[in-house]
Amino acid sequence: MIQETALGLEILRDVARISNSTLNLDEILAQTLDIVKNKLHIDACSIYLIETENEQPRLKLKASSGMPEGAASNIYLKPGKGVTGWVAQNKKTLALSDALQDPRFVYFPEIEEERFQSMLSVPMLYQDECIGVINVHTLAIRFFSPPEIAVLETLSGQITGCIRNALEFQRSQLLLKEQTLLYDISLAVQGTMKMDHQLWILLTGITLGGAGGFNRALLFLTDDQSKVLQGYMGLGPDSPEAAGYIWSELRHKKGDILHWILTESDRNEYQQSAFNSLAQSLTIPLKPGTHVLAETALLKRPFLIDHPQEHSLVPREFAKLLGSDSFAVVPLVPHQETLGVLLVDNRYNNAPITDNDMALLTRLTTHIGWVIENSRLFNKLLKSNQELLSTKEQLIQSEKLAAMGELAAEVAHEIKNPMVSIGGFTRRLRDQLSHLCQDPNLANLLDSPIQYSGIIINEVERMERLLNNILQLSQAEQLELEDVNINELILEVIKSFQVGIQERTIELKLHLPREKEVLPIDRSKIKQVMINILSNAMESMPRGGLLQISSLPYVYINDREMLALCFEDSGGGISQKTFENIFHPFFTTKATGTGLGLSISRKIVESHGGALELKNNPNQGVTVYLYLPLQNPANYNKN
Amino acid sequence: MTKILVIDDEANIRLLYKEELQDEGYEVALAANAEEALKAIETAEPDLITLDIKMPGMNGIELLRKLKEDKKDIPVIICSAYGAYKQDFQVWASEAYVVKSADLQELKTTIKEVLDAS
Repeated sequence: MIQETALGLEILRDVARISNSTLNLDEILAQTLDIVKNKLHIDACSIYLIETENEQPRLKLKASSGMPEGAASNIYLKPGKGVTGWVAQNKKTLALSDALQDPRFVYFPEIEEERFQSMLSVPMLYQDECIGVINVHTLAIRFFSPPEIAVLETLSGQITGCIRNALEFQRSQLLLKEQTLLYDISLAVQGTMKMDHQLWILLTGITLGGAGGFNRALLFLTDDQSKVLQGYMGLGPDSPEAAGYIWSELRHKKGDILHWILTESDRNEYQQSAFNSLAQSLTIPLKPGTHVLAETALLKRPFLIDHPQEHSLVPREFAKLLGSDSFAVVPLVPHQETLGVLLVDNRYNNAPITDNDMALLTRLTTHIGWVIENSRLFNKLLKSNQELLSTKEQLIQSEKLAAMGELAAEVAHEIKNPMVSIGGFTRRLRDQLSHLCQDPNLANLLDSPIQYSGIIINEVERMERLLNNILQLSQAEQLELEDVNINELILEVIKSFQVGIQERTIELKLHLPREKEVLPIDRSKIKQVMINILSNAMESMPRGGLLQISSLPYVYINDREMLALCFEDSGGGISQKTFENIFHPFFTTKATGTGLGLSISRKIVESHGGALELKNNPNQGVTVYLYLPLQNPANYNKN
Repeated sequence: MTKILVIDDEANIRLLYKEELQDEGYEVALAANAEEALKAIETAEPDLITLDIKMPGMNGIELLRKLKEDKKDIPVIICSAYGAYKQDFQVWASEAYVVKSADLQELKTTIKEVLDAS
């Protein structure tokens, strides 16, 4: 009796030593086995722990001693099944001198249990809950005495605490890892506003290993218009070899995801991967009952698919493409709307996808949902901001023009009257001088005065033209629309430049609309625009060059179909400053010019509902795009 | 002889128009503002009026309206320094619209056309 008490105390001391020395579950189990085997003089010993990760709790053989090596890997028992299962379910110790004869006995060839005659099975109870079972086995028949049973029960009670601690520690380690991962990922995501980069970071986080690391991740986004799920991004190795390489690389980087992601310069590499291409080639219609991905999006709930080849919601072709034994799909639902779905699998290491994995995945997809939502909002904001800016610019432009118009009208009126007087009287002067010239005595004397008055008349004419230009700018364009054959108009304009083209040896290339293109335009005004464009082009090529006039495919501007004409010169382009100011009234680089040409041209084209755009190709030339609507807007009033 | 009333607040313009139109063989009466114009219409009984728009006091458009309201059956040619008033429907009541220029040829042609038509 004293001996047994001493043994009990010895065992307690050893267990206390274990609990003080380690939090590693495997070490605890191994040391426990040693103690049991040595102190109780038995032949074999095994420890089962209850796993609750899956919906059905089960007993897993975690450690054994005196049994074949490696036996612990794949032995599972349902509670209630076998001797161990009975003990776990009933939370009662069972001592069997002839275990093989007991009806509860289940035979596992892997651990050669049939060699053992007797066994003692003790539940590991923690707060009246069974967390596992310790078994001892003997080869010869043995009757376990009550003190022996008491000793093992005491040990079981003590070791249960150690194991609980170890499990808790393991769990919190895992949680900490998850939290760190989430934290690192969200920090990294905050570092950029580009959706693709953010998604890349998130998918990298999901496939990075560590807590809940999957082999591959595949992101689909919902396309509301065409009612499909469109593959958007795929992250993961293309082959088992690549997987092995990446994971060995990752082992060095693990633990500092943030640093790695932020310094990762080759993030575009994934775009060239076969898996990403596969991802982007997939389109899945959002029809109920057809595809597990569509189901996920429509029902807004995750799916875990084992054996996809046999699953009714997984088309054979899709299962073949993925090639994995199981995969999980979770929806991205930041609010009510499903933005897309995320598919993950473990194609290369075939690790099972656990409930824990699913929980982490759900948390990560929340992030992904936010990223997409934010990015959509951001893009919307960016777009409306850009629109606002361009509207503002247009407003400034039109305000400028309006102010200019008012000022111009005022100035014109004030200048025009004296101009008319000067010019008018000078004409009279010249006429009278010419009249006097009929007297041969005076003719010589009057040569110069006549010449001078001619100069005044010419200069006044020039000033009047300038004033008329200004006035044309300031007054609303009144269009006289008629159906005009655009080819004919272009040829007509070119004809008026024929001399210049020949003199300067300019090569002219025409790619005109093949069919007869008849547009409702103000013939003389559009002609003025073309003359303006061409004279600019000619002036940029004083020593010859190439002038191309081409018709481009129709475009849509403000929902209206437009004929697009392109005038391209090889005059070397213009300076940035010129380019920026080219549509400003009065801006000119020419010695003789009012600077109103392009400004008026643009106004004319815009009053047609079209657009005039300029592209500067430095050192090559300038390309002018002229867009004219093919049809009148229905509400356009011809008058 | 055909009589033309030139209404313009600028003395030099009046003088220029007078000399040019006299050379064309017209008799010319002058008015510097609406008030003078209304008197001249009564006294001179012109066959045609050239009318400036921007004038101190009653402007050309207002005067045009008054003439039409008073059923004065005298053709009116608007002679303005700029063309913006062409958009103003009120000037449509006039017989013609000529933008002022040192070259009076357009005005002379228009006067002839309007006289021929009336």
